[in-house]
Amino acid sequence: MSDHIPTTARSLVDLAASTPQQDLFARVLDQRSRPNPYPLYAALRRQPVSRQADGTWVVSGYDEIAALLHDPRISSDMRNAGQESAPGAEKSFILRDPPSHDRLRGAVMARFTPAVVESLRADVRRITGELLDAAGSQGRIDLVDEVAYPLPVSVICKLLGIPPEDEARFHVWADTLARSLDRDPDMTQEEADQIQHAADALADYLTQFTAERAKNPGEDLISGLLTGGAHTEPLRGDELVVTTRLLLIAGHETTVNLITNGMLTLLRHPDILTRFRREPALVVPMVEELVRYEPSVQFRYRATLDDIDVGGTTIPGGSAVVLLLAAGSRDPHHFDQPEQFIPDRTPNEHFGFGGGIHYCVGAPLARLEAHVVLPELVRRLENPRLAEDPPPYRPTAALRGPRHLWLNVDRVRP
Amino acid sequence: MRVVVDLARCQSYGQCVFAAPEVFELTGPEVLEYDSAPSDHLREQAERARAACPVQAITIGPAAGPTRDATAAPPRSAAIDTVGGQR
Repeated sequence: MSDHIPTTARSLVDLAASTPQQDLFARVLDQRSRPNPYPLYAALRRQPVSRQADGTWVVSGYDEIAALLHDPRISSDMRNAGQESAPGAEKSFILRDPPSHDRLRGAVMARFTPAVVESLRADVRRITGELLDAAGSQGRIDLVDEVAYPLPVSVICKLLGIPPEDEARFHVWADTLARSLDRDPDMTQEEADQIQHAADALADYLTQFTAERAKNPGEDLISGLLTGGAHTEPLRGDELVVTTRLLLIAGHETTVNLITNGMLTLLRHPDILTRFRREPALVVPMVEELVRYEPSVQFRYRATLDDIDVGGTTIPGGSAVVLLLAAGSRDPHHFDQPEQFIPDRTPNEHFGFGGGIHYCVGAPLARLEAHVVLPELVRRLENPRLAEDPPPYRPTAALRGPRHLWLNVDRVRP
Repeated sequence: MRVVVDLARCQSYGQCVFAAPEVFELTGPEVLEYDSAPSDHLREQAERARAACPVQAITIGPAAGPTRDATAAPPRSAAIDTVGGQR
């Protein structure tokens, strides 16, 4: 095993082995599992479709997840499992089914074209360079706060046409709203209130901003959504606000974790880091392996519209289902050596960007950013070492990633 | 360089179009058009598309010689194929 195992991993394996099957997902949500949830996922896969104590069904096998991602009897609207929508997340297309999902997603896709994504490449290079220049004189840098967080935020704001001076305001809102994705039953009232407050503040901002754009359209995506296209209706009002909010949050949290998890994984595999320095083109298959091995999105919730037979088990209609994508991407029935990080793994049919009709809209942009930033980090950071391992993690289990990644470096090369 | 798309696998995710816009194009919701013999200067793009394909349907081989995947469609220049939707 070349894999580095943090000191907590051994006890986590023991914990997973001794936890009853029906309590495993509660352990996943537990903040203490954030550094390494994978032993819990391995334990869950012993029963690839398993009912948890609270009635939620957790699906952790590759084939079972793939079947449900493509099953029209699976809904993304959790009201179909008797749950209220998470505050601040209502009505965006990630939580809708066809036909309204297809209409809203189609409106975005009509404007989020290959040419638009490619046009951001130069911005990604420039911003990456500027952020590393700014970190330049220090022997210790926080990769999250100094590079991984500001880069995707600047890029998504550029795409949407949000002025740079407003970027900082999204920082707190996006962080807070991400936590609502866990649907954690143990969430405190204080946390729930904070989420509602952030949702309201962001909605107010976007309502004002989109109204202003309607009067003075530009070249940005929001203006494009307001205008509509040859085959898509213009978006207005609440639909435009929630769609924009979805893009902002998705663009904030996930790519941050991809960059951070990428550097963390490389630093835990010095042999691969050495190879990557010699062979920067390795980044292309390596990013796919990163989103398999340490995915930013660990799981998504769904609701069953009918009784569904999957993996020899029947999930009753009206159930809440967790599609544990990160567990499927490490299923030994589908991947050789699934617990190993193999940067040029081929084939690599992972769930890192989900699958089916909800496949990550931003995947092309996330790939572009990672393809640019990871070789640049490795080229410019001289002798990087992890200051602590495991690093501190953000609370969110569904969108998992370090809150800080402190690196000691000899210097930042020009 | 030869590019082959296994159309039995393709589900029109469109990731290849973003990764390699000079090799792949979706001309309709489920219509993939691609250059099966692109110039070698497009290799980097083509490799990006092969890696990004969510169902790993793309094979890249040398300009001549048998493809690795015997079940894949024969090479055609700028072939227009109608492929199955993802649902």
